[in-house]
Amino acid sequence: MGIKWLAFILSLSIFLFVIELVRRERLTFKYAAGWLMAAFLAVFFSVFHKCLFAIAKFCGFELPSNFIFFALLCAFVFLGLLLTVFLCQQNDRNDRMAKKIGILEFELRELRKKISRKD
Amino acid sequence: MTSPASRILIIIPAYNEQSNIHNTLREIWALASLNLDVIVIDDGSTDATAQEARSSGARVISLPFNLGIGGAVQTGLQFACERGYDIAVQVDGDGQHYVSYLKAIITPVLNEQADMSIGSRFMPRQEKGYRSSFARRLGIGFFARLIGVLTGCHVYDPTSGFRAYNKKMIKLFARRYPHDFPEPEAIVLARKFGATIKELPVVMRRRQGGASSIRYFKSMYYMMKVTFAILLDMLKSRRLAVDYGD
Repeated sequence: MGIKWLAFILSLSIFLFVIELVRRERLTFKYAAGWLMAAFLAVFFSVFHKCLFAIAKFCGFELPSNFIFFALLCAFVFLGLLLTVFLCQQNDRNDRMAKKIGILEFELRELRKKISRKD
Repeated sequence: MTSPASRILIIIPAYNEQSNIHNTLREIWALASLNLDVIVIDDGSTDATAQEARSSGARVISLPFNLGIGGAVQTGLQFACERGYDIAVQVDGDGQHYVSYLKAIITPVLNEQADMSIGSRFMPRQEKGYRSSFARRLGIGFFARLIGVLTGCHVYDPTSGFRAYNKKMIKLFARRYPHDFPEPEAIVLARKFGATIKELPVVMRRRQGGASSIRYFKSMYYMMKVTFAILLDMLKSRRLAVDYGD
């Protein structure tokens, strides 16, 4: 089996796997969209590999494989940064919820005391 | 001038302070001359801090997990903001602060001489009490100079957690308060919003029990983190400083 077929099958598998994860509601579409786009591009370039070679040449890469590794590295660095931003947002939301829960629990305790005093 | 009937809230952030909290509260209750409300913020303690505080007669807000000193203080300030308190005073739960200085700390804020007042261990010609280790004093001196250069306001003890805030500061900090090691950053933020800060000499003592949360390598981390945080705070716009996290 040629490398082109291997690339095609692998990228198509990733594409279908992401769709399956969305279908099973393990991934929401909001977060699956990026993966679907990446998998679609991988399928596209595995079929129309000459486009990939042309882009690599245009960007000044001697070998298309170097271009693929470079593009993947950039994508993962960007993804890592996005995940860190997402983690910070979640952390901030958790903190705010914890403060709110603490205050609400306190108010609930005070209300219960008031009610029991009335009874 | 703020009315003599101003509502004052003492905020005591406490994390695993079961051995200290009772004494701190007892000292505050003894200040019969001041009309104060007290709230203990139990910052996800794993010991009996909350029970000890309740049995001493304090109202307690228990956080579901440990948020750190910044999160605990901000919870108290949010509570003060929601309940419409005029002045909030932060007092550490570890027994380091002599609450006999409370009146001195509150007075400049009460008389509208300052938006925020800080109890300082390092003012010139003041009585010496516990002043931390030599290495920490070096760090505190460094932060004092850094904040002085960046904000034009020299604070001798920027890491002191013995502070009073007026309504304007309560409102600001209820929305935006630094986390992790927040005291020096809070000064920068306050200055950014044009707050007037007054320092008053106070004597502090060693913590009465338990262990400090800042030890060994954490001190180095503290130095670097706070320095970067202060520099980044200076770059933030005023709008972002308040809107952050909304």
